[in-house]
Amino acid sequence: MDDVHARLVKCFSNVFPSLSATEIPNSRMTSVEGWDSVAMVTLLAVIEEEFEIQFDPADLETMVSFDSVWTHVSKLNGYS
Amino acid sequence: MRLSEALEILKKTPPPDGPPLKVSLVCGFSPLHLKTFIGAHLQLLFPERQIEVQTGLYGDLAGTLEHLDRCPVDATAIVLEWPDLDPRLGIRRLGGWRPRDLPDIVQNVRAQNLRIQRTVDRLSARMSLAICLPTLPLPPVSFTPGWRASRFDVDLQESLAWLNESISQTNARVVNHQHISWLSPLRERFDVKSEILFGFPYKLPHAEIVAELLVRLIQNPVPKKGLITDLDDTLWAGIVGEVGVEGISWDLDHHSQMHGLYQQLLRALADQGVLIAVASKNDAELVDEAFGKADMILPANRIFPFDVHWSAKSESVSRILNTWNMGPESVVFVDDSPMDLAEVKAAHPDIDCLLFPKNDYQAAYELLVRLRDVFGKDRVSDEDAIRLDSIRRAHKSADAAQEFSALPDRFLREAKGRLTVSFAKASSDLRALELVNKTNQFNLNGKRQTEVSWRTYLSDPDVFLCVTAYEDKFGPLGRIAVLGGRVRVHTLLIDVWVMSCRAFSRRIEHSCLDHLFRKFAIEDVVFDFGITPRNGPIRGFLAEFSGSPPEPGFRLSRKVFLEHCPPLYHDIRESTDG
Repeated sequence: MDDVHARLVKCFSNVFPSLSATEIPNSRMTSVEGWDSVAMVTLLAVIEEEFEIQFDPADLETMVSFDSVWTHVSKLNGYS
Repeated sequence: MRLSEALEILKKTPPPDGPPLKVSLVCGFSPLHLKTFIGAHLQLLFPERQIEVQTGLYGDLAGTLEHLDRCPVDATAIVLEWPDLDPRLGIRRLGGWRPRDLPDIVQNVRAQNLRIQRTVDRLSARMSLAICLPTLPLPPVSFTPGWRASRFDVDLQESLAWLNESISQTNARVVNHQHISWLSPLRERFDVKSEILFGFPYKLPHAEIVAELLVRLIQNPVPKKGLITDLDDTLWAGIVGEVGVEGISWDLDHHSQMHGLYQQLLRALADQGVLIAVASKNDAELVDEAFGKADMILPANRIFPFDVHWSAKSESVSRILNTWNMGPESVVFVDDSPMDLAEVKAAHPDIDCLLFPKNDYQAAYELLVRLRDVFGKDRVSDEDAIRLDSIRRAHKSADAAQEFSALPDRFLREAKGRLTVSFAKASSDLRALELVNKTNQFNLNGKRQTEVSWRTYLSDPDVFLCVTAYEDKFGPLGRIAVLGGRVRVHTLLIDVWVMSCRAFSRRIEHSCLDHLFRKFAIEDVVFDFGITPRNGPIRGFLAEFSGSPPEPGFRLSRKVFLEHCPPLYHDIRESTDG
């Protein structure tokens, strides 16, 4: 689980380079400058590539924070 | 390259004072990850530049193209997909796939291709264009089963072939579709979910490949210039010293066809201007005898020099580089012996050392493909056709000059050198640009030009361009010098001056300056001189007049020039195209 968390932080860091590693776990779409629709698509693509998963299109609208993305990634990785 | 790697590359800030490299990406779909990959590949190839990738309006490729005139960019990448030619060929619009719609789709595609062709034709005259034609499979539009070619498919492919053919008549460069298919299988390209949800139709690996190939077209890498080959078990199968001349082979009957194909490729490379030399540990007489065989595909007259002896290969390579007057970075060395390759690599780290895999057909074939790529060029020029002969002659004339060493003036006078000088500024003639970008030694400042910057420079009405061709009794060298600058009151400002190393030691540089002093009736020439690691020859030339190493902004008066200029024997003519 720790490894998945670290890899997810790395994905966020690549898309939002201005966020520090400590800021990323608390990040939300509404609070991060530059987290727009293009950044969202890039973030999802990076995560799908990293974890070799495919998000359900129906879930995309709920992924608006690190926590919510973490929840979906954990589920798709079979951790919950 | 993965998307995360591309983002990492883009995160690294290039030097703040790095010059910008602006590239326009024109596509009808949302550029998203393709833009990221293009930016990352550009940054890798141009680490000192500030990369800026601009994009146009979503869904309006033809319109964006037509507005490119207003964008001052260094290069443009155009990525076409079927929906750009007719929206019904995509999956985001529901315009109809009925049988009766098909003729209208074909007609629309033809009209759109014509519109794109006209725009590309216009734009390619003033900017560098890299184009990728549709790479995605057609949606199930036609009423025929997918495995059967339909009239509809044929008509669409025919229209696309017409567009490809039309573009190839311009300066624009088109991605080779076979090469894309080699790297990215058709069924691995289309991302339906991404297209429906985000308007981005490519799977990430395909986007990365399209980006890489477009960036290669934009970069248009300088091809290698020379190939040094081993003989035994490389140019032919067998060791001639053991099996004799009759025992070596390069054909199907002796299971040595890959060596025949290698010879065939080297023959083709020689004819496109690549210099071919032999470095072999062998008996020189046996090698002579082997090249006397009538069925040799690469004849001895396409090779220069032969360096055949029993000492280290690196010594041969050194001598060959010296004869060619070429740096190791421009050369490929091919040998079947890993030890010889390692020995050459240790002595010449910049040389590209490639193994001839004599027992692996597939690997040998891939070597041929690789050689074709590293020596690949846009076009074969008149100079390419005479390069080998002119180097061979230069060698002979150097020997002759040695005989005349006490009397260099007599040698030069008897050489009967003729200079043909052209002041035409034909921006479509890329020989001048090629010389500017590949000449290192006699190069005023080492500044390289892109096609765009070169065209922009030539479009300045104040700028003159002087391209010089040379020939003497030993034969022609072709166009060997390029000089560009501006005329001011009594003064000439020289921005660009390069001369091929094949033309050294003939006082051509003196004659060029002498001609400019006379033609423009000027008193001074000011050079935009800059030191580079390899431009010693032009430094030495300028120092002949000043008596000390030249500085940036070097100025030479007519008086000083005439005082120090040696006797000149060239017959100079201005060509009528100027």
